[in-house]
Order: sequence, then C-alpha cells, then structure tokens
Amino acid sequence: MAAAQRGDRDAFRTLFERYHRRALALALGVVRHTDDALDVVQDAFIKAHKHLDKFEGNASFYTWLYRIVMNVAIDHLRKHRKVRPVELDETRVDPEGDQPLLPRILGGNPGQALIDKQIRSRIDQALDQLSENHRAVLVMRELEGLSYEDMAQAMSCSKGTIMSRLFHARRNMQKQLLDLLEHPPAELVDELTGGGGADEPDVRGSEARSDERARAPAARSQRR
Amino acid sequence: MTPPMNRPSDLEIMELADGESDDPDLVSQIEGDPESRAKARLIQQMGELVRGHLELSADAVHDAKFAAMWRRIDGQLVPPVSGLWSRISAWFDRYRSHIITGAVSAGAVAALALVLRPGVPDPGQPGSTSTIIVRPVALRANPEIDALDTPGASSTVINLDDDDSHAAVIWVTPDDSNAEEL
Repeated sequence: MAAAQRGDRDAFRTLFERYHRRALALALGVVRHTDDALDVVQDAFIKAHKHLDKFEGNASFYTWLYRIVMNVAIDHLRKHRKVRPVELDETRVDPEGDQPLLPRILGGNPGQALIDKQIRSRIDQALDQLSENHRAVLVMRELEGLSYEDMAQAMSCSKGTIMSRLFHARRNMQKQLLDLLEHPPAELVDELTGGGGADEPDVRGSEARSDERARAPAARSQRR
Repeated sequence: MTPPMNRPSDLEIMELADGESDDPDLVSQIEGDPESRAKARLIQQMGELVRGHLELSADAVHDAKFAAMWRRIDGQLVPPVSGLWSRISAWFDRYRSHIITGAVSAGAVAALALVLRPGVPDPGQPGSTSTIIVRPVALRANPEIDALDTPGASSTVINLDDDDSHAAVIWVTPDDSNAEEL
C-alpha cells in the first residue's frame, strides 16, 4: 500500500489483482448488470488511485475501497435511473405491523443449493425486484458483513432506516425464494434434501459467518 | 401481528442474527422458541445464498475482462505527487485555467486603473481638498510713463518710491480756455 502511495504502479496493480473480484461482487449486487458493474469497478479503482494520498492506513485498503465502490455504484444507479422508486416503508422501523418473516428455512444446505441454476436465477430475480436502497443494504450486510451503524454512515441515513430497509429486503427475498420452494423442481428437491447439513441452527451466527467468509476465497479457489 | 409473550420480535431476531445484539435473555428466548429459531436460521441462510450467488457471479467473469480493465485503468492513472515542488506543480496544473483567468483579469483591471486615474485636482472645484499650489511669477518692473498726451491740458508725472512700493501720480492742469468751459 505504501509503495502504491509512492507511485509504484506494480504495487497498485497488486492491489487491483487482489480485490477486483470482490469489488465486482459488491458492484454486481448493487447495479445488477455485469457490464455496468465492471464500469463501476474500473471507476472505483481510478478514483482510489487518484486519492491514494488520502488513505490514512488506519483501515484496510479494501474497507476503504468498498466505500468507493458503493459510492460509485449508487451514483451509477442515480445517473441511469429512469423512475425513482418510492419506498413507503423506509421510515418504519418497527415491522410488526407488516408481514413478518416466515419461520421457514429455505433448505438444508444453501451452498449446495447454489449449484442449481434455477435457484441462482431466482436469487437474481429477487434481487432485481428489490428497490435500490433495499438491495444496497442487503448487499453491504450479506457480502461485507457491515454493521448497521457503518451502513447508516455509508448511506447517510439513520440506523433505524437501515434496519427497516434490511428487514423488508430480507422479507421480500424470502417471499421470492419461498415461491420457488413451494413448487420445486425434482432436481432441486434432491439438492436441498440430499445435501445434508441440516444441523440444529446456531442463532448467533455472526462469528461463524465471519469464519465462513474468511474461508470463502479458499473455497472458491477449490471450485475453480 | 403481535408476537406471543416471551417471543422476540422479528427485528430482535434479526439484530441477534446479524451480531448487533448479544442480550443473553434474547438468546435464550430465541433458543427456546422453534419459530424464532427458524427465522434466525432463515436470515443466515439467505445471507449465505446472496453472498454465495454474488461471489459466484463475480467469479464467472473471465480474466480477460479484468486484464482489459487494468489496461484502461493503467492508461488513466496519474502518478501521485511527492515533494513540495511536485505538489506545487501539481496544484498549478490542476488550477492552471483559474490562475491564467485570474492573471488576465488582474492585468485588465490594472490597465483600466492606469488609464482612468484622476489627474491634478482642480482647486476651483467645490469639495476639493487638495493643496493650492502657488506658482512663482516674475515680478514686473515698476510702471514707467513714457509719454502722456492730455489735449487741452498740461500734465505732470510725479513718481513716489519707498522701500515697499512704488506709486506714480499724474497731475493734469487744464489750459485756461478749457478751464472756463469746465
């Protein structure tokens, strides 16, 4: 990082090589189209390089980069938005009056389920149907594990608004995905029931999930 | 829909599943309630599905696209500046047009000020507070009368001089014939 700050292009390229796919996953979650997401990542790295002198080193480079990616992605959405979505539920913090989350899990092994193209296509559809703000919050939370406070800061809104957005995003995602599972194709039933791993859930999953996140690159390398 | 007594709300379940709360009472409530447990598990599953799906989507993009992206990025990189002089140069480069516009404007104002500057103030103008300049003038010689023509009368010129001034007295005496007419 220090070398990149001194103007070493190879050092900056190393940073690019290390983080470009992760940045792309984030951008994809927000802008939804691969070409747009690639543009966002490119702009984000150029901006990051331009402002390298402002990086103080008290956070990781990626923590700094993902904020740039998010800002560029949100700007991209604003520039290309045709109709401004109306989100009447954003100011509501307490979702008790709304449709609650259904106490139904989606299957035994999500990792196994992701092999199925239909499930992935349905996740895509479900993400597409979320509003931009709901999707941005969901992606920041699920992909980067950001705290509510950090998300509120990143999106310049209150923590309550973030909780509301996240809740509605998850509930809408569940509705979309459960619809698929109500009438699953035979191969999907096999995937979900034969995959195993339906252990007793650990409700405090954040630490375990952090571990999983840390292992994710290795798992992806194995898949490749 | 109000949750039964001792059943945590969806928001509380979400906060716990997201690691935003570690309230032990809430933990025991969720662990003791199958429906709450299922919701917490659902939140985790959904997170795994979304994360896995996006990561796989990013992985599916071919390396060649990133190589092309790097070439475009590399072509647009501006070397970071170091050292005082480099920073000043960079600052000048960045604001070059502003500086040139400012310099041209300042020059134009200076030229206008030069052209339109006020001249020597006119002491006769009302309101003028400038000092009156008294210019020295050459002193004239004392008046001298070379010839005096007084028809019908005789005249005499008497010059009176002292240290400070000079005066001349012209004494005219009419002739006798004219004196009678007068």
